[in-house]
Amino acid sequence: MSALWFVVLLAWQTASNEALDRLKAGGDALKQSKAAEAVAEFRKATEAAPELPAAFVGLGQALMQSGDYRGAVAPLQRALELNPDLPGARQLLGFALLAAGYANEAIPHLEKVRALDALGVAQLKTGKLTEAIANLQAALAQRPGDVDLMYYLGRASGLLSRQTFEQLRTTGPESARAHQILGETYAVLHNTAGAEQEYKEALRLRPATPGLHLELGELYAAESQWEKAEKEFRAEANLQPGDAEAAFRLGNALLQQGKVPDARRELERASGLAPGMADVLYALGKAASLDGDPAAAEKAWLAVLDIEKDGPLAGQAHFGLAGVYRQRGNAAKADAEMKEFQRLQKAGR
Amino acid sequence: MGGGIALLDYNNDGLLDVFLVNGGLVNSEHPGAQAKESFDRANPRYWNRLFRQNQDGSFTDVTKAAGLASAGDANYGMGVAAADYDNDGFTDLYVTSYGRNILYHNNGNGTFTDVTAKAGVAAGGWSVSAGFFDFDNDGKLDLLVTRYLEWDLMHSKSCGLSPKIYCSPSEFPAVSSVLYRNRGDGTFEDVSAASGIAAKKGKALGVAFADYDDDGFADIFVANDGMEQFLFHNNGNGTFTERALEAGVAFTDDGKRISGMGVDFRDYDNDGRPDIVVTDLARQSYAVYHNEGHGAFSYRSLQTGIAALSGVSSGWGMRLEDFDNDGWKDLFVAQGHVMDNVEQIDAGLHYLEPPLLAMNRGGRFERTESGWPEPAAGRGAAFGDLNNDGWTDIVMTVLGGKPLVFRNRGGAAHWLTLALRGTRSNRDGFGARVKVNGQSQYATSAGSYLSASDKRVHFGLRAATSASVEIIWPSGVVQKMDDVPADRFLTVVEPERPR
Repeated sequence: MSALWFVVLLAWQTASNEALDRLKAGGDALKQSKAAEAVAEFRKATEAAPELPAAFVGLGQALMQSGDYRGAVAPLQRALELNPDLPGARQLLGFALLAAGYANEAIPHLEKVRALDALGVAQLKTGKLTEAIANLQAALAQRPGDVDLMYYLGRASGLLSRQTFEQLRTTGPESARAHQILGETYAVLHNTAGAEQEYKEALRLRPATPGLHLELGELYAAESQWEKAEKEFRAEANLQPGDAEAAFRLGNALLQQGKVPDARRELERASGLAPGMADVLYALGKAASLDGDPAAAEKAWLAVLDIEKDGPLAGQAHFGLAGVYRQRGNAAKADAEMKEFQRLQKAGR
Repeated sequence: MGGGIALLDYNNDGLLDVFLVNGGLVNSEHPGAQAKESFDRANPRYWNRLFRQNQDGSFTDVTKAAGLASAGDANYGMGVAAADYDNDGFTDLYVTSYGRNILYHNNGNGTFTDVTAKAGVAAGGWSVSAGFFDFDNDGKLDLLVTRYLEWDLMHSKSCGLSPKIYCSPSEFPAVSSVLYRNRGDGTFEDVSAASGIAAKKGKALGVAFADYDDDGFADIFVANDGMEQFLFHNNGNGTFTERALEAGVAFTDDGKRISGMGVDFRDYDNDGRPDIVVTDLARQSYAVYHNEGHGAFSYRSLQTGIAALSGVSSGWGMRLEDFDNDGWKDLFVAQGHVMDNVEQIDAGLHYLEPPLLAMNRGGRFERTESGWPEPAAGRGAAFGDLNNDGWTDIVMTVLGGKPLVFRNRGGAAHWLTLALRGTRSNRDGFGARVKVNGQSQYATSAGSYLSASDKRVHFGLRAATSASVEIIWPSGVVQKMDDVPADRFLTVVEPERPR
C-alpha cells in the first residue's frame, strides 16, 4: 500500500481532477478490502488518465487483491512501460507473475527489487535449486519464524538432494554410494531385504564408508535383530571412534540384549562424546540402574530432567527416579517423582 | 481374539482331554448401525468341542454326548477355566463369552450340565480369561472372570481409512472384572464390589494367580490391554488392594504401557518367588517382572533376553514350563499380530507368526525350534502331559484354523509330576505352593490366555533320580516328603493335620 501511495503522490500534480478522484476512491476501497469497487475506480482512473502510471499500479494491486493475478499482470506491465523506475510496481508485477504461475517471467523483476522470499520460491519452481536455497535461507534469516519460508527451504533442499542423488546414480550406478542410496530408499519403503542387500553391496565395494554400518545397524534394530545390529554398530564405532551416535546405538543394542555392563560402557562413551544429549543420558541411567548402580542412574536421569522438563523422556526419567527412591526407602521422594510421571502421562507425554 | 482351550481329564481315566472354545457367527452385517446382536451357535460349526483322549493317544469328539453341543444363541465364545469347583472329584468347565458365560457341571458320567443360572455366574458383557482359585482359603474354589471392554455391536466402530484397522482399546471405556465367591452349595456370590476388585476398571485379557508375597493368600495379576497392568494383593480378609504401581508391575521400566494379553505367574529363576511374564503386541517387548521379595518386582525383559526375542512379535497364550526337564522353566508363546492386514501398515510385522519356544538357561532365555516353523495366528495355549510320559506337551489354538498339538519329544532328564488332592483345602489343591529340589510351583490351572492347563504340577529334575518335596497347602498344612523316586506321577493327598 505504501508503494502505491508513493506513486500516487508523484502523479498528483500532473493528473486531471477526475483521475485523482478515482485514484483516491480506489485507494480507499483497497484500504477497506473492497476489491471489486477498487478495481472499478482504478479502471476509470486509467481511462481518465491513460498516461498515469499510478492508475495502472492501483488497478494491478486491486486485481491482485481480488485474486485475479493473471489480470493484474497487464496493468502492472503498462505502469512499468510508463515509468520503468517504479519500484512498487515491479515488485507487484513479480508477485503477480509468480502467483499466476509464470515463475520464470517473475524472476527478473524480483531480482531487480531484491525480494528474496518470492525470488527463492520462483527459483524453486523453475528448478534453480541452489539459488533458491541461498535466497530462501537469506529471507529466513530476516524472518526466522516464517513457516512458509521454512517449508519452501525444506522443499528446495529435498529436491536438490534428490536431484544430486539421481545424478550420482547416473554417474556411478555401481558405486558404493549408489547402493547406499538404494538401501536408504528400500529402508524407507520398509523393504528390509532389499535395503539389507544394497547396504551390504555398498559395504563390499567400500568397506570403510562412514555411516554405512550405522544405517545397516538401524535397519536390523528396527526388526529387533539386535545381535546383527550390535555387529554393525560396533563396526561403525570402530570406524568412527569419535562418533557419539555410533556409540549410543551400540550401547542401546547391547542394552536390548541385556548385556548391561558393555552397554553401560558404550553409553558412557557416547555421553562423553556428546554431553547433554537427553536420550543418551536416559539410556545411560537405565543401563546404570540395571547394572545395580542406582546412584549413577539417579545422576543421569536428573541430568535428563535438566535438559527436558516436559517431553516423553522427562516422564520416563521421573518414572525411573521413582523406582530409585522407592528402592532406597524414600517414599516421599518416590511419590513425588511418580506424581510427576503421572502428570506427564495424563498430558500425553 | 479367541479361542480358548482347556486340557482336563474330564472322565478321570488318567488321560488329558481337550476342550476347545469356538466363537460363533456374528449375525450383523453392519456393526455400528442399529444392529440386533445375535450369535448363531446352533450350527455345529460354532459349537465348542470336547475331544476325549483314547488309550491309543487318538481323540474322539464327544461334544454332543457330553451335553456341550450348543452354547446357546446369545454369546460368542472366548475362553475357558477348568477346575473341580464343587469338590466332587470331577473337573468342571466355565466358558467365557461375549454375552452369557456358562458353568458346566461335570456330572461324573461323561456328561455336563449347564448350571449357570443356579450358580449365578453368567457375568455378562465381554468376558475373556477366567480362573478358579481359593481366595479366602475356605476349601472352595472361587472364580475370577476378567472382562475386556465396554463394547457392543451397536456401539462398535472401525478405525483407519485405508487400510481399515481395529480400533485401539483406548476408543472404548474400561470395565471391571468379576469375582465370585463359592458358597459351597453350588452357588456363587458376586463379591466384586465388596472385595475391591470392581473398584478398578481395566481392559483385561489375561489373568494368573500366585502368592507373590508369601502371606498364604492367593493374589491376582490381570493383564490389561493398552493401559497399566493390575496386581490385586489379597489382604487376607476377603478384600484386595490393587498395587501394581507400587510393586513395579504396572508399566515397563520406561514407564510405558503395554498391551497385555497373556500372562503367567511363576518362578522362572528358581529363587522361590513367583515372577510375572506378560505377552503383548509387537513393537513392545514381552514384560518380565522379577519378584525381588518384599512385594516389589523389577523389570527384567532385557536381562532375561526376552526383549530381544519379542520386539517384533505379538504374544497371546503362554506359559513358563520346564519343557526339557532340566530344572528351569522355559517359555512357550502362541504368537500372531492382532490385525490381519498389519503388513500393510508395518511391513516389519506379521499377522501370522510361528510360536516362540525359548529355553531357560539359568535365567536367560534362548530361542529354539518349536517343532512348528510355519507361521499361524496363534491365540490360546494350554499345557499338560498328553501322553503321560513325563514331558509337557502343548495345544495351541489358531484363529480361523485347526489347533496345533505339540508333542514333546522328550529326552534323558528325570522328572516328577504331582497330582494334588486337597482335603481341608480345595480338592484340586489350587493355591498350594510346591517345592521340589529347589524349584517352586504354584498349583493352578489358570494363566496363559483364555485357557486352562493340566492341573498336575510338573517338575524337571535334570539328573536327579529322587526328589525332596514340600507342599504348603492353602489350609496352611505343610507336607514334606524326602527321597521321592523320580520319573513318576504321584498323587499326594493333603494330610488332615500337619506332619
